[in-house]
Amino acid sequence: MGVNQSGLPLLGSPAFVTTRLDFVVNWARRNSLWPMPFGTACCAIEMMASAASNFDLARFGMERMSFSPRQADVLICAGRVPYKLAPVLRRIWDQMMQPKWCISMGACASSGGVFDVYSMVQGIDTIVPVDVYIPGCPPRPEGLIYGLMMVQEKIRRESLANHAELRAEDPLAAGRPRAGDQEVADLTGPFGNSTDQNRVSGLVATDAVRRSEDRLP
Amino acid sequence: MNPFDLVAQGPAPSGDATRAERGANEAEPGNPTVSALRARFSDAVLGNSVTAGDQDVVHADPARIGEILRWLHDSPAEQYDHLADLTAVDYGGGRPIEVVYQLWSIPHRRALRIRCALPLHALEIESATGIWTGADWLEREVFDLFGVRFAGHPNLRRILMPDDYGEGHPLRKDFPLRGRFSRAEQTRRALNQDPESYYVPGEIGDRVPQVVAAEPGDPSLAEEDHGDEDD
Repeated sequence: MGVNQSGLPLLGSPAFVTTRLDFVVNWARRNSLWPMPFGTACCAIEMMASAASNFDLARFGMERMSFSPRQADVLICAGRVPYKLAPVLRRIWDQMMQPKWCISMGACASSGGVFDVYSMVQGIDTIVPVDVYIPGCPPRPEGLIYGLMMVQEKIRRESLANHAELRAEDPLAAGRPRAGDQEVADLTGPFGNSTDQNRVSGLVATDAVRRSEDRLP
Repeated sequence: MNPFDLVAQGPAPSGDATRAERGANEAEPGNPTVSALRARFSDAVLGNSVTAGDQDVVHADPARIGEILRWLHDSPAEQYDHLADLTAVDYGGGRPIEVVYQLWSIPHRRALRIRCALPLHALEIESATGIWTGADWLEREVFDLFGVRFAGHPNLRRILMPDDYGEGHPLRKDFPLRGRFSRAEQTRRALNQDPESYYVPGEIGDRVPQVVAAEPGDPSLAEEDHGDEDD
């Protein structure tokens, strides 16, 4: 928006005007969040229930699920994301306009969940930046609503004074992983839930039967 | 014994005999097709067995599977016109990968299962797409996940994994659970895909078939014959 402290007319104290403007802008933003639903699994069923009459997300300003990323404010990633879908998620995030927020709904989106396997993204925070993680498998609609209220709280504390810093977006980062290699390794470390493979599995000895030609060169 | 020790040990070896040998001539078939198959293809039928109560299984010679399936489909006394499933099983430990055909004859109401054991060094079998069109995607799936090549398939490329997937064939027993590459490399490769190359409306329609090539990073294809990749 390009509004900052120095660019405002001096009506009394600049700080006073800025905070009042912050209040109005944030009030408008947080009460008209349009979610972009990215539902890939059972979490999406709970997300639909949240939007339906019993829980009624519209009470919080999520009046309309925006199926176009260009008109959405908050990306709700509900469900597991396979690697084949990762570029789609990233592209949808890139297509959303600032200001935008992201909710990672459920265990699979947040950490890969039980799907600690070759095909699954181990937490969408390796792909896109995440504002709120909602635990649960799947979370109840109350959980999603609470997560959205946390986003609202986060918006309430934002200030236009540091808008450029908060909402900066590097065009070169489009289509790239959010996390660097080391961070991906740290974020996606195995939980030791099923086997004793380590995170460079395949390059170290495991109990799996293998043939020499199956090793990487 | 602690049950977790059993898990750590992995599956117990089931002897040297292959499934086909163990199942040979064990059971009295309930399906008349089994006897007819034995009479007509005496040298290509390696054995038969009954599993799950009444499921007749025929272990066939993969070299003549096209002939056998064609006869099962066309013969008026058989008419197996419905290919219910086509899949594969890897038993691990260097044992052959078995391709499984689950057939159903709608006119005669008979179910038949054909199994073909393919040794790991020759994972190639004739395609059934000329007999049942529905075999197309099933064979692509078996190729994708097990690396079995189907000779004569019109469009043999990956179907579940990305086209440029470079880690091999994930459903093989010797495939590590978390894949061969590190998570960082997997993430990098995933985001370098072009999703429009496969999420397109023309996917089901008249998309130009791609040549399936063994990528340099695909180790499990390294020793196979690449002579007929352009089928």
